[in-house]
Amino acid sequence: MTATTSTVARQHRSTSLRRWVQRHGWTVGIWVLLFVLVAWYATLIPRFGGFQTATIISGGTAWIFLGIAQAVVVIAGGLDLGVGGLLVLTSVTAAQLMDGQPLGMVLVIAIGIVLAAAILNGFVGWIISVSKVPDIVVTLGSLYVYQGFALMVLPKVGGGTNGSFRWIFTGSENGIGANPWPSIVVIAIPVIIVAWWMGRTKSGLSLYAVGSDAPAAFLSGVRDTRTKVVSFAVAGVFAALAGFSSVSISGVGNPTTEGGNLTLNSVAAVVIGGVVLTGGIGSVIAVVPAALILFFFNPILSALGVDPNRAQVIQGILIVFVMMIAGLLEWRRMRRS
Amino acid sequence: MNDVSRTDPQGGTNESTPEKQSYARRLADRPQLVLVAVLIALILVTGMVEPNYLSLTGLKNSLVWAIPIGILAAGQTILMLTGGIDLSIAMIATASAYIAANQSANGAVFAIVVGLLVGLIAGTLNGLGVGVFRVNALIMTMAMAGILLGLFTGWATTIFAGSTRMHDFVRTLGGGSFFDRKVPWAAVIWAGVAVLVILLLRKTGFGRNLYALGDNAVASRLSGIRAWQVLVVAYAISGILGSVAGLIVGGRVGSVDLQLVGFLLLPSVAAAVIGGTSIFGGVGTYTGTILGALILGVLQSLLTFLGAGQAVQQVLYGSIVIGLSWMYTRIASSQ
Repeated sequence: MTATTSTVARQHRSTSLRRWVQRHGWTVGIWVLLFVLVAWYATLIPRFGGFQTATIISGGTAWIFLGIAQAVVVIAGGLDLGVGGLLVLTSVTAAQLMDGQPLGMVLVIAIGIVLAAAILNGFVGWIISVSKVPDIVVTLGSLYVYQGFALMVLPKVGGGTNGSFRWIFTGSENGIGANPWPSIVVIAIPVIIVAWWMGRTKSGLSLYAVGSDAPAAFLSGVRDTRTKVVSFAVAGVFAALAGFSSVSISGVGNPTTEGGNLTLNSVAAVVIGGVVLTGGIGSVIAVVPAALILFFFNPILSALGVDPNRAQVIQGILIVFVMMIAGLLEWRRMRRS
Repeated sequence: MNDVSRTDPQGGTNESTPEKQSYARRLADRPQLVLVAVLIALILVTGMVEPNYLSLTGLKNSLVWAIPIGILAAGQTILMLTGGIDLSIAMIATASAYIAANQSANGAVFAIVVGLLVGLIAGTLNGLGVGVFRVNALIMTMAMAGILLGLFTGWATTIFAGSTRMHDFVRTLGGGSFFDRKVPWAAVIWAGVAVLVILLLRKTGFGRNLYALGDNAVASRLSGIRAWQVLVVAYAISGILGSVAGLIVGGRVGSVDLQLVGFLLLPSVAAAVIGGTSIFGGVGTYTGTILGALILGVLQSLLTFLGAGQAVQQVLYGSIVIGLSWMYTRIASSQ
């Protein structure tokens, strides 16, 4: 009798463990990979301390924010190729408007830019939802439009921002990190808010509902247009934050940055973070280590003395390799069930 | 012909009764008529902006823009029919042109063959990744673009250091014209590509497999299509088409660098989409894509004549791509 119950209990525990591994295994794996990479990096360079940590984290901030922007849209069943362009647009607008302003004014401008980015990108989401034109096509167009706007705002590299504002994003007034904590805080707050929103609130969960089965979500009363607009607006907010960190690191705005490449990085971060491109599956939290891993390649490979061009080759092969493993895991899970 | 019309929306309403068809409905049956109308309207508008445009030289300028877009978009069309996409096609084109220029000392034929080989290899690898290893097409081809860029940036100063000038024969093919400099050679190449691609999609079993795979992957597997073989061949074809476009652009410019064709990636996707190819697969024709490429070519001339700076050009270009595909979707779905 007791023996049976304990077997049942054990069985129960083992299935719940398996479920936990299935649900969070990828996320944990990505974090472990990140820490292994950091530990490896620490043995590669002569001195590893606050400065190196700060450089990596502040450098990765823009990648993380842009990855999260993409993740929110992808989880809701979409794809936003325009986020890279929006990063460029918000960063040059920030550089143009914030140049020489006191901190208070800079913060007001920052809030204005975040709101404008949310409205602009929300409008893109609205167009997709109303026109029924695929996401890829509309956001391909918005990518062009954003890059064009960026050139209008700031025709060539220039502008600037307040030192204290740069400190918020990089931990130093001249962009070369000394103190990792400001970057960590500036990443953690929006990430925790958006993770809470997507996991605990009705409007956040509706992104998962639409992403996993749009007709079913519609039939159960989720408003599809609103969900689309909201997901794109949130992506706009995070693209703006990414724009701010990019200005904070370089200190200037550069309208000729290729937004398309930045978008592709964000898609890669999303995929490595375990968010499924068909929507409905994944978490924004896992995108943080994924984006850091992607960013982290360059310092590691340069510490290894690898030529940066070869580093790009290795990065490409690694992304494909990770995707192959993900595909294999998916295939095994399909076969078992 | 009949077999294709079943899978594309243009001919999908054969059961319609002879009673009066509304104007909108007839348009919905033939959405490509709208594209022709848009093309003519754009040409006329451009003619109003710059009266000299309505001449052979003016139209030739637009055509020269449309040719590489149209060839790259042929690759995108083939892949989009399967539900895929090739984001590496512009980089493949650049790499092919780079190698061809580098090898031009060994003769034109060798240079062209080596250039096409780049597309074949890169395309086949894409196909293996997508077809056999089930890597998402966006990720696979994006990674391939990164890998090629990395490889060639490294090789540009080592094994491929040297000439970046195209062989004269390739320059003629890419930029030269005949019949009193009226017809560009590249247009002949595009016409050849167009005939081959249209025949491939309409008349061959492989073409039907492409439509079937994109329309319903499970059903096509159950009916015996080996998806991975179809995909490997499709991506290889796309790679070769990329090489052809690369050689044409390289020949027109005369010398090569690693940014040669990159700017045509998004137009190549846009041309296929404007032409009515669904990015989700199963629906589309190359004739539509050709119209899309021509529209983009005329648009480029219009933007140039308007004297708009790069900024305004990009904003207009993006808005027009969204607007045209919106219009096309509305018309095609109004049936």
